[in-house]
Amino acid sequence: MRAPLRSWSATLCAVTFCLFVATTLLYIWENKHRAVLSQTVTNSGWVAYQAQLEHVKSAAAIEHAKDHFTPQVVADLALRLEILRSRLPILYASEEGRILPEIAAMQPALQAYERLLDRMIDELPALHPPDAGTPEMLARWASALAPLGPELQTVLMASVAYNNSLFERERTLATQLAIVPLALLFLSGTSLVAMLLLQSRRDTARIAEVERARRAIADMEGNLRGVIQAAPTAMAVIDPSRNAVRFVNPAAAQMVAGSLDHPDWKRLIEVAAQDVRTGDAEGATVKMALTKANGDVISLRGHLCPVTWEGRPQVLVVMIDTTRAQHADLQSLQAAKLAALGEMANALSHEINQPLAVIRMAVANAHRHLETEGARDAVAAKLERVSTQVDRAKRIIEQVRHYGRLPSGTAEIFPLGQAIELAAGSVAEQYRSAGIRLALQLDLPPEHTVSGDRAMLEHVIVNLLVNARDAFALQDDTRPRTVWLRAQAQEGRAVIEVEDAAGGISDDLMSRIFEPFSTTKVAQKGTGLGLALARSVVRDMNGQIMAENMRYGACFTLVLPLAPAAASSAEREAA
Amino acid sequence: MIREPSILICDDEADLAGELGEFFAACGWRAMVHTSAPDALEALHAGAAPTCLLTDLRVGHFSGAELVSATRRLPNQLQPLIYCIMTGHVLDTTAAKDFGVDLLYLKPIDPDLVLSDIQSFLEDTFKLPTGT
Ligand SMILES: Nc1ncnc2c1ncn2[C@@H]1O[C@H](COP(=O)(O)OP(=O)(O)OP(=O)(O)O)[C@@H](O)[C@H]1O
Ligand SMILES: [Mg+2]
Repeated sequence: MRAPLRSWSATLCAVTFCLFVATTLLYIWENKHRAVLSQTVTNSGWVAYQAQLEHVKSAAAIEHAKDHFTPQVVADLALRLEILRSRLPILYASEEGRILPEIAAMQPALQAYERLLDRMIDELPALHPPDAGTPEMLARWASALAPLGPELQTVLMASVAYNNSLFERERTLATQLAIVPLALLFLSGTSLVAMLLLQSRRDTARIAEVERARRAIADMEGNLRGVIQAAPTAMAVIDPSRNAVRFVNPAAAQMVAGSLDHPDWKRLIEVAAQDVRTGDAEGATVKMALTKANGDVISLRGHLCPVTWEGRPQVLVVMIDTTRAQHADLQSLQAAKLAALGEMANALSHEINQPLAVIRMAVANAHRHLETEGARDAVAAKLERVSTQVDRAKRIIEQVRHYGRLPSGTAEIFPLGQAIELAAGSVAEQYRSAGIRLALQLDLPPEHTVSGDRAMLEHVIVNLLVNARDAFALQDDTRPRTVWLRAQAQEGRAVIEVEDAAGGISDDLMSRIFEPFSTTKVAQKGTGLGLALARSVVRDMNGQIMAENMRYGACFTLVLPLAPAAASSAEREAA
Repeated sequence: MIREPSILICDDEADLAGELGEFFAACGWRAMVHTSAPDALEALHAGAAPTCLLTDLRVGHFSGAELVSATRRLPNQLQPLIYCIMTGHVLDTTAAKDFGVDLLYLKPIDPDLVLSDIQSFLEDTFKLPTGT
C-alpha cells in the first residue's frame, strides 16, 4: 500500500515539475514571438512606401529640372536620385524581401533600376543648362524611371498583404495561445493538488499506524502489568535513576513490604545496587540477605531485567525467597558432615577409649593403693592422671562438637585483621615460654571484613599457630625459632599465611593432613581434629586452606573472600 | 607353677602402658613396659621371654598384629605362652584367633578380668597355676 503511494507521488512530482517548466518556456516563447511580430508589423510596408515616395519625389525633381536647370536644382535632383538609389536594395534585402516571393522575384528588376540610377547620378554633373539636349535627356530619364512606380506599387501591395496576414496570425495567436498555458497551468495545479492529497493520505496512514503501535504498546503494558500482578513470584519495578520502587505485585508486597516507600524497599534497592556495582551480580542476577525493619533476615535471589514501564526505562526485579532453600542447603551440608562423623565413629571411639582405658587402669591401681597404708600420694597421683585423661576426652568431644556443629546461616561480618590479632595474642604467652618469635605482618585495614563465624576462625588460626609451636618442640634448637603470620588483601580476597621453620610435614602425613584424627602428637597433646575443623570452617566461609612445605618448614595458607564492601574498597586501593 | 610370671606390655600410650605395668607388678608379675613396637621386639629378641605378651593393636605406625607374628617367629624358648591384644578401635570381629592371638580386649579394659583370663588360660592350656 505504502510503496505504490510513494511511486505515485514521485511521478506526480515529476509531472508537476515538467508542466511548470513547459508553462514557463511557453510563456517566454510567446512573449518573444509577440515582440517579433509587432516589430515586423511596424517595419513591413514602410520601406516600400518610402521608396515609392522617393520615386515620386525624384520624378517631380526631374520635371522641375527640365524648366529650371540651376545648380541648386541639379544638386536637389542628385540628392533625390541618391536617396531613391539607397532605398531600392533595402526592399529585397529586408525581412519581407527574404520571405515574400513576389518581392524576391523583383530583385533583378530593381537592381537594373539601381544601375540606371547610378548612371544618371554619374551623368548629371556633365549636363549644362544651355545645352539643347538637356531637357530631352531629362525627359528620357523621366520616362525610363516611370515603370519603377508600378513596380514599387507591387512591392508595397505585397508588403501590405503580408502585413495583413501577420496581423491576422497575431490575432489568432492571441486568442489561441492563451488556452494552452492556461491548460498547462491548470494541469500543474491539478497535479499539485493531487500530490498534496496523496501526501495527506500518506500522513493519515502513518498517523494511524503510530496510533495503532501506541495502542499495542499500551495493551502490552497492560498485559505485562496483569501478568506481574497475577504471578506468584515476587516482582517489582524499580526506577534506577531515582532509586525508587514504582510498582510491586502482591507476592512482592508480601515478601518485602506493601507500601512503595517502606524502608525495606529502600534497603533492598541499596543492597541490589551495591551488588551490581561491586560486580557480585552474575550477569543480571543478585543474591542478597535483606534484614527487614522487624529484624527478620530473608535471603533473596533477584534477577534484574531492563523494561520500559510507563514509557520510561526501568528495571524489573524478579525475586525468589531462597531463605528456605538456603536453610535446606545448610541442612544437607550438615547431613554430609554427620555422615562424615559416622565414618569417623571408629577413629572417634579409639580416641575416646584411649583416655578411658588409662582412667580405668589408674582407678584400678588407685584401689590397690588404698588397700596399703600410707598410699595417699600414690592415690593422689592416680587421681591427677584420671583428671588429665578426663580433660583429654573432653577436648576430643569438644573438637568433635565443633566439627559437627550446625553452620550458622547468618554469618557475621567482622574485621579480619582484628580476629587475627586476637588469635595471635592468645598464643603470645605460649610462644614466649617456648622461645619462639612470632613475626606478624598484617596488612589489613579495619574496613577489610569477612563474613563467617568469628570465634571459629580465631580457633582455626590459633590451631595453626599451636601446630607450628608443637612442630618446633620436635626440632633441635639450632633452627631459628620464628613463626611468620602474614595477612593481606588481593583482588577481593584475604590471604593469610602461617609459616614456620620447624622442618615441615612428612609426605605420608601431607596427603591426609586435613582428615580428622590425622595426628603425630601424643594423645595428651593433640586430637588430630584441628586441621579437619579448619577446613570445615574455611569452607563454610567459601574459602580455601592449603598446606605446603617450604624450604625450612611448613606453610599453611588461608584464602577468604572479603565481604562486598571490603572487596570494593580493596579494589579502590589497588587502583 | 611359674615362680615369677612375667608380662611384656607394649602400648604407645605411655600412661596406659605404665598403669598396666604397675597393676601387673602389684599382682606379683614381672612387668616389662615398652611404648614402641621396635623396642618391644628388641627386648623379645634379647631374651625377655615373657609369660604373656600384651600389645595394643596399633602402636604408633606399627600394628600389634605384626609384633605378634614377628614374635611367633622367635625360637620356641623365647616365645611367650600367651598372646593378648587390646584395642580402642571398633572391630568387625572380636574373635581373638582372627588376629592370631589367644585373648582380645576392647579398651577400656578391666585389669582384674584380664588378669583372671590370663591366669585361667594358662591353667587350662598349660596346667600352670599363676595365682598370686
Ligand atoms: N606446622 C606444622 N609442622 C609440621 N607438622 C604439622 C604442622 N601443623 C600440623 N602438623 C601435623 O599435622 C597434624 C594434624 O594437625 P591438627 O592440627 O589437625 O591436629 P593436632 O594438632 O595433632 O591436634 P589438635 O589440633 O586437634 O589438638 C599434627 O599432628 C602434625 O603432625
Ligand atoms: Mg593442632
